[in-house]
Amino acid sequence: MLLELSNITKRFPGVLALDEARLDLRPGEVHALMGENGAGKSTLMKIASGLFPPDSGTIRAGEAEVAFPSPAAAKAAGIHTVFQELTVLPNRTVAENLLIGREPVRAGGLWLDTRAMRREAEGILSRLGIDLRPDALAGTLSTGQRQMVEIARACAQNPKVLILDEPTSSLGRAEEELLFELVRKLRADGVGIIYITHRMSEVFALSDRTTVLRDGRFVLTEETAKLDRAALIRAMVGRDVAEGRHGLDIDALPVALEAQGLSRGKAVRGADLTLHAGEVLGVAGLMGAGRTELARLIAGIDRSEAGEMRLFGEPYAPRDVAGALARGVAYVSEDRKGLGLVLPLSVADNIALPSLQSLARRQVVAPRRIGDFARGWMQKLGVKAASGGVAVETLSGGNQQKVALAKWLATHPRVILLDEPTRGVDVGAKAEIYALIRQLAENGTAVLAISSELPELLQISDRIAVVAQGRIAGVVSASEATEESLLDLAFREGEAA
Amino acid sequence: MSAAETQPRAGARIAGLLRDILPYAGLIAVLVFFSLSSEFFLNFRNFERLVTDSATLMLVAFGMTLIILLGEIDLSVGAVVSLLAVILAQLMAAGLPWPFAVLAVLGIGLLLGLFNGLVTVIGDIPSFIVTLGMMAVATGLSFVFTGAISVAILSEPFLVLFYDARALGLPVPLWITGAAFAALAFYLTRTVPGRQLYAIGANPAAARMSGVPVNRRKITVFAIMGFLVAAAAVFSAARLGSGAPASVPALTLDAIAAVIIGGASLFGGRASLVRTLMGAALIAVLNNGMVLMNVNIDAQFIVKGVIILVAVVLERLASGARP
Repeated sequence: MLLELSNITKRFPGVLALDEARLDLRPGEVHALMGENGAGKSTLMKIASGLFPPDSGTIRAGEAEVAFPSPAAAKAAGIHTVFQELTVLPNRTVAENLLIGREPVRAGGLWLDTRAMRREAEGILSRLGIDLRPDALAGTLSTGQRQMVEIARACAQNPKVLILDEPTSSLGRAEEELLFELVRKLRADGVGIIYITHRMSEVFALSDRTTVLRDGRFVLTEETAKLDRAALIRAMVGRDVAEGRHGLDIDALPVALEAQGLSRGKAVRGADLTLHAGEVLGVAGLMGAGRTELARLIAGIDRSEAGEMRLFGEPYAPRDVAGALARGVAYVSEDRKGLGLVLPLSVADNIALPSLQSLARRQVVAPRRIGDFARGWMQKLGVKAASGGVAVETLSGGNQQKVALAKWLATHPRVILLDEPTRGVDVGAKAEIYALIRQLAENGTAVLAISSELPELLQISDRIAVVAQGRIAGVVSASEATEESLLDLAFREGEAA
Repeated sequence: MSAAETQPRAGARIAGLLRDILPYAGLIAVLVFFSLSSEFFLNFRNFERLVTDSATLMLVAFGMTLIILLGEIDLSVGAVVSLLAVILAQLMAAGLPWPFAVLAVLGIGLLLGLFNGLVTVIGDIPSFIVTLGMMAVATGLSFVFTGAISVAILSEPFLVLFYDARALGLPVPLWITGAAFAALAFYLTRTVPGRQLYAIGANPAAARMSGVPVNRRKITVFAIMGFLVAAAAVFSAARLGSGAPASVPALTLDAIAAVIIGGASLFGGRASLVRTLMGAALIAVLNNGMVLMNVNIDAQFIVKGVIILVAVVLERLASGARP
């Protein structure tokens, strides 16, 4: 075995990210690593590349048991990783990026041998068949090209093990082909490659064996040739499917929001959507499928480049958040700390922030009025805080999320877009938030709920729309949907549409 | 995301406490110190002089509080006060009646502030750089306009009104400073735009996501700052009886010091007008007392510089940064 990870357990505050996960890699194989969002793939690979140690479990390289106290130690053992987050330095040339940390020097390290550097970089690029100028500034490259630089940097160090974390997520077709060729070439040279991807076609086209993780646990390792699509999806989902809700006649409900052909950049590419007043429309999709980007268009945060929307029959094209709010459309961000709340401010100030204008007369607002207003909403949502005056940052995740919900519900939205409404929230608060979402819909609000947790979507939604590659791949009734059918839609690759 | 992470460490709590009492304790300390060490200090006339003299600093420090609350900075205030005082003196020397000269200068100040704000926001350039440029331009202009010679103000009614006059027994500069304080306190606590400033300073992205017009608010605050700087220039000119280039070399430092001593965060989102008032009073007493004790101007800079550094370090420690 080239690399053997056994019984790896890793706990982060509040989550068991890996629970006795394992994976073994042979020389000269491409090993696909699959699982739903949050299954623990990236955590396992970060442990393999020395970013952090496992709580328990063993790592073997060759026959010897090893420990990687740092990324440098993993690299010294020949394990190189290309993560999704790009680490290319934009203000450096391609050559400098390729040879970073091992630049050729002259005069005992006094200055860089730029000519040797260029020559070496050219050698690497041509060996790998990558068509880039060594002296181009990395910042001027496309994301895909930067990704290739990243991969080339890892390949240039003659890795024994190469870990690729969703390498094609930002690549164009041609670059994808180039990457596949590169992977096959490395395999022929005896390199072991661990390949994380969400795309089934890549798994079947490239990999020799496949390992599936679910909820941090090992599910199976199998020759890819012995697997099929359905088996893989079953392995990834695996648990009992929650019961959907029944009996709501969607067609009888008034249409709240209608979107046609919404597009922006590469993230949203012609999305059509119908949302009814009084329903919860769940939105599923893999990370990067364009779910958040779609919600941001509806909420007026970004402007759509094509397509149109109607809100209760009227044309709707919000210019900014204030414009959307004025029309009764509110968006609760998935990024609670960065975008949803102003952490150092008080609970009351956070709740009142988007509603200040409506609490004021001629721009003047009494602080007491804000306090009373916020207290009412804190009670309604059961926010546990000593008073409205304490800073939001002192609250627990669940209570912070309730503040975020209160803040937007206080604007009395007709359409509310919830992006990962239970992220980082404990089980008790989760149940309260589910109940609140149901209650909102029963009171006639149109609710769109984005979630990466399929059981959650099946539990709270009336219908579920699946987003794939910037489009709506399909909409299914929650009572008929299963995790398998949703994943099947999510993995459908958009060429046909 | 554990509970422990949300609780400030003990060291940070102590630093926070020290930061919070610094302006009050500092003010009391310098009052006691100068009362004991200078026979001229504890004296009604001296206090009246101190209050009148501090009008310029107070007005600029109030404006600086809003600017720093937004996480911005204005380095041009000293230079612009000098420039506007020069313009004021020259307009009066050219025969313009003083009320019109004052109005003209208030208008110019407002426009210069607006300009700082527009360049900062639209150009998306740090206000640090924008106002540094404005500082150089204003300094240069005041030398060009005057040929480096101070321009005397001869209008007796102007000099009396903005320096010596009293209303209801109190100096006019005190009334105007008090009115500015009250208006800004009202703006910050009881108006929609004012309350939004705290959110903008602490997290502009979240403020924008909440429908707050972040750019418009920033531009407005720079314009308010420009107006306050112009008002400060009127008092400065009346006090010196002239307009001269580089006439208030310590003003920018003093104003920023007042806000920092008041416990504001230079990263935005945290500043208080009341505490700035205390900080500015501390600086004003220091300036007055050190002059009475014949401390030379360079040594005065050293004392104030040390106080700023102490205040900044306390604020960093209090916000949880590791030493």
